This record gives sequence, C-alpha cells and structure tokens, in this order.
Amino acid sequence: MKRICFFLLMLGLLSGCAAPAAQSEPAQAQFFSMDTVMSVRVYDGPKEDAVQAARQAVEELDGLLSRTNPDSQLSALNAHAGDGSPVALDGRVSELLTFAKSISQLLPGDFDITIAPVMDAWGFTTDQRQVPDPQTLAGALALVDSDKLNMDETASTARLEAAGMEVDLGAVAKGYAAGQAAAAIRETGATSALLDLGGNVTALGRKADGSAWQVGVKDPQDTAQTLCILSMEDQTASTSGGYERYFEEDGVVYHHIIDPETGYPADSGLLSVTVVSADHTLADALSTALFVAGEEEALDFWRSRTDFELVLCTSDGRVVVTQGLEEGMRPTGEDRGYTYEIVRR
Amino acid sequence: MAHGLQRLTRAAVLTALALALSVAEGLAPLTILFPLPGLRLGLANLVTVYALCRLSGREALLILVARCLLGSLLGGNLMALAFSLTGGLLALAVMALLLRVPGLSLFGVSIAGAAAHNTGQILAAMVVLGGRAPLVYLPPLLLCSLVTGAVTGGVSILLVQRIPAPGRP
Amino acid sequence: MRLSAADRRRPTLGDGLVVLVVAAAALLLLAALRPKGTDSLTATITLDGQVVAQYQLAELSQPVSLTLEQAPYPLTIQIEADGVSILHSACPSQDCVRTGRITQTGQQIICLPNRLVVSLTGAGDLEFDAVTG
Repeated sequence: MKRICFFLLMLGLLSGCAAPAAQSEPAQAQFFSMDTVMSVRVYDGPKEDAVQAARQAVEELDGLLSRTNPDSQLSALNAHAGDGSPVALDGRVSELLTFAKSISQLLPGDFDITIAPVMDAWGFTTDQRQVPDPQTLAGALALVDSDKLNMDETASTARLEAAGMEVDLGAVAKGYAAGQAAAAIRETGATSALLDLGGNVTALGRKADGSAWQVGVKDPQDTAQTLCILSMEDQTASTSGGYERYFEEDGVVYHHIIDPETGYPADSGLLSVTVVSADHTLADALSTALFVAGEEEALDFWRSRTDFELVLCTSDGRVVVTQGLEEGMRPTGEDRGYTYEIVRR
Repeated sequence: MAHGLQRLTRAAVLTALALALSVAEGLAPLTILFPLPGLRLGLANLVTVYALCRLSGREALLILVARCLLGSLLGGNLMALAFSLTGGLLALAVMALLLRVPGLSLFGVSIAGAAAHNTGQILAAMVVLGGRAPLVYLPPLLLCSLVTGAVTGGVSILLVQRIPAPGRP
Repeated sequence: MRLSAADRRRPTLGDGLVVLVVAAAALLLLAALRPKGTDSLTATITLDGQVVAQYQLAELSQPVSLTLEQAPYPLTIQIEADGVSILHSACPSQDCVRTGRITQTGQQIICLPNRLVVSLTGAGDLEFDAVTG
C-alpha cells in the first residue's frame, strides 16, 4: 500500500511539472502596405481593436503617401511639379515633408526625398532594375534638390519648383507610419505591442513579463542570422543596408540606397546602419542618411545629438555600437568573425 | 536479545559495505567515459539486492535509508540526498515487487532496479529544479541501465549464491 | 521466504521481457520528447493575406514542390524536411529567390510583387521578439 501511495505521489509530481506556464497570446495581423510586409502584434488591452486601429493608421498614410497610387496626395504634388500651383496637403503629409527637408539640411548630400527621378532611372521603383546610361542619370540627378520643394506649413501646401521633379517618401514613410500606428494603439488603451513595418521594428512598452523587448539586428552578409540583439522599450529600430534590394549586372552588385551626390549606389564602407530612437520617423530617416554618410560622419553626427543610438556594420567586419545601446546588447555574430566595438561620447 | 543484536550488527555491516561501495564508485565515475548526468554503475544496489534476497524488505529499506543519509553527510549535499534517496527507494520498491514475480532472475530484477533508480533520480531532479528539463536525460539513462543493471545483476547472483543467509550455520 | 529469482544462475525469458520493457520505455520517452526539439517547424505560405498551404516539415518524407499558378507572377516553392526555398519565380525583382533557404523558426521569405510570405514557426524559443533589417 505504501508503495502504491509512493507511485501515486510521484505521478502527481510528474504531472505538476508538465503543466505549461500560462501565456497570453497576442492579437496579430500581417499585411502588405507601403510596398512592404508589415506585421502588428498587440499583447494587452483590447488587442484585436488595437491591431485594426494600427493597420488602419498605416493604410490611411499609404493612401496619402504612395507614389504608385495616382490618387494619393503625393502623386498630386508630383504631377503639379513646375506648374507653379501649390498643392493642398493633409496635415500629416506636410509635417512629414517638412521633417524630411530638415534632415536634408542637417546632413547635406546624404539624404534627399527628391531622389525619385534617379531611383526611377535605376529601376528600383519599377522593378526593371538596370544601370542607367550616363545621360539619363545626369538628367535625373539635375532634378534632385529638396531646396526646390517649397513648403507652406501654415497653409499646409507644397510646391515643386521644377518640372520633372518628384518626391519619394520611401526613406521616412515607414517610420512616420510607426509613430501613427503606435499612437493609434495607445489610444485604444493597449500598452504592450510590437510593430514590424518592413524591417523597421517598433517596440511599445514592455513585454507581458515586464522585461524589455529583444530585437535582433540582421546580419547584412547572412540575412538568416543576427549581428546582435538589442533591448528596446518605446523605441523604433530602423535598419538600412544594401542587401535589402539589389541587382547584379556584369558581375557588379548595385543596391538601392542611392547617394544623392553621385546618383550611384552609396559606397561608404558600411554594410548596414541601424538607428534606435524614441522618435520613430527620425530613426527611419537617419538609417538611410547615415548609411550614405559613412562611419566617421555618422559617429560625428551621433556625438552632436542625444536622441538616437547606432549599430553600424562595416565592410571590414566590425560592429560599431554606440554607448546608449551597450546595456542589454548581446553580440551574436562572433562565430562569423565579427568584432564588436562600443563607441563613447 | 542476542538475535536483535545480531540483526543490528548485520545491518550495520551491510550499511558500511554499501557506503564503501558507493564511495569507491565515486572515485572512478562512469561519467568520465560517458558524460551523462546521473550515470553510475550502482554498486551499492548490490547490497540492496542481497538484503532483499537474504534478509527482509524492512532491513533492506533500513540499510538503504541509512546509506543515503550517511552518504550525503560524507560528501554530498541535500540535493544529492534527494536524488539518491528517491532513486534508491523507487529501485527498492520495484525490485521487492519483481522478486515476487516468477520467471525472473536477478539479471531482470537488477535491470529493473537500475531503471527505477534512474527514473527516481530524474523525478527528484525535476521536482528540485522545477521543470521538465532533466527529463531529456532519462531515455539515455534508461538505455544505460540495461548495461549497468546486467553487470550488477551478474555480480549480485555471485554474491547471493556464494554468501548464504548470514547468521545461519 | 522463498524467492525463486534468488536461486537462479542464468538469465530467463522474463529477464528478456524486462529488458524489452525498459528499452521500449526509453524509446517511447525519446519519441515523446522529440517534438520539443528542433524538428517541429511549420511552414506557412500566405498569398495576399490568405493562407494557401501549410506544412509540418518534420512530417515530409520527401521534398515537395509547390507551384502557385494563381500568383500574379507564378512561382515554385520547394519545401523540404529541413527548410524552404523559392526555386524560381516569374517576378521581376527576384529578391525572393535570392533570399535562399530558410531553416529556422522566425525566418521568412517575402515576394513583394506577389504579396507572398513564406514563414517558419514553431520549434523552440526565439532569442528575440523581432528582427530589424
């Protein structure tokens, strides 16, 4: 009898161990918008409503900002280039255009939203990718100048001075959308969510267990792997790298991040730039701008400000991380030969 | 009175033997050859088998508990005590049952005992560590117990045959 | 007390049965623990938000070639026991083909022109919640 009791006791202990810890599943949605794949996961509050609110916020912006949709406000702005008439814009569109212009002024030669004609010449926007002939490229490059994008913020209008000029907001739209989606989620009362807008990851609040979100930074040389894992809370991590979209012609690889100075794919010695910031739009814009700028200029710019942090992956296998990300950062690429440096102010 | 003293002495000698065997085994652990947590030959089990066959279940239990307690005092810790006691008790229970099943030899009894010992250890580890993780070691341990159980089974046959019930002429 | 086992010198058939029972328990336990290992990847293929196919990779005895003729740019997906890849696609960018083979949970192949996502889920815990890049 004692033995039977003993066996029963053991069985009880066994089943007690087997019970899995209860974990609440997030509500989630995956959808295509802004020419990329987006996913929204909400972990608390009215989850389903929050997911739908976020998706709606993103799709609304896509309707305003899409260059391929002829009914968008951006298409209207581009269509009226050079005809002298100011185009009335939604407050969000003019806010984003003004912001993008300010980045161009902060980092001259590294960032320009009027780069669209050059992108078209390379075929990155039409998916018929090709190396443009020099005359076409020179003609397109002559149209790139965000100083000729005139903004009237009080009237919420904008005007492109020269005919043929075009604005493409691909380098800032996802970051701005992240901000709008985050606000929409918060409005429903949810506080814990994770957005992945085409590789721009926005972490809202903390995880259900109270810890910070863990966000991997893709290895630009092996996209199945990560360079490191970052701890994030109420921030966006945005990454730009030549590996995202590219093509090969005559043995040369051409990627989609065009240097507005040369009209050619940026060749700054960086393989990828990740910007982490509580300002979602800033993170998105800077990842592109600082990829073009290169390591030295990127770090100088970082030292001049306090509102973002960087992970740079250089072509000689260094991963440069700024000090604000040091805490909670875990390197994961050492076995692939990467070395890690922390940069301090 | 003399009978009681004899039983006590006998149990004490067997406990000392079991303790010595388990310490000796610890000096040359099998885990050097085969790195599997919890893997051991189980020589102390010989004493349990012998006690079950030639003495009584109660004495076997007494010797086992004394051996485990003393063993943990000698060099183990509370966690090791929990593992060896759970494993030992489960092995004792299983072997005592199987010895009453007809058609088995001490090979089968020892193998079942070794398997039960490993199962008990892992159960204790799961309780102490509070998770299912130790369970992954159980299948390889069970397979190993086929070999270690057969070895101790062979030895215990020699032991039980050669050394008759103590205290009898 | 007469214990027959104590008097035998040779293994019996019953011993063989004990060996079989222990070995069977070990193998059953091994099989029961296996799905928690790295082999229970699920590949989910969605086309414009609709799930068109789902595979348990561990259950595939041989590679499966899935051709999606209904996609805007027809493509062929190779699903194997240890990973998924796009063999060829009629899409202009070819980014999906260049992604290569995905083999780990959390990885995705995306074909933007087709609005196609192939994702791997299951099999162990991820070290991270999302990936930027």
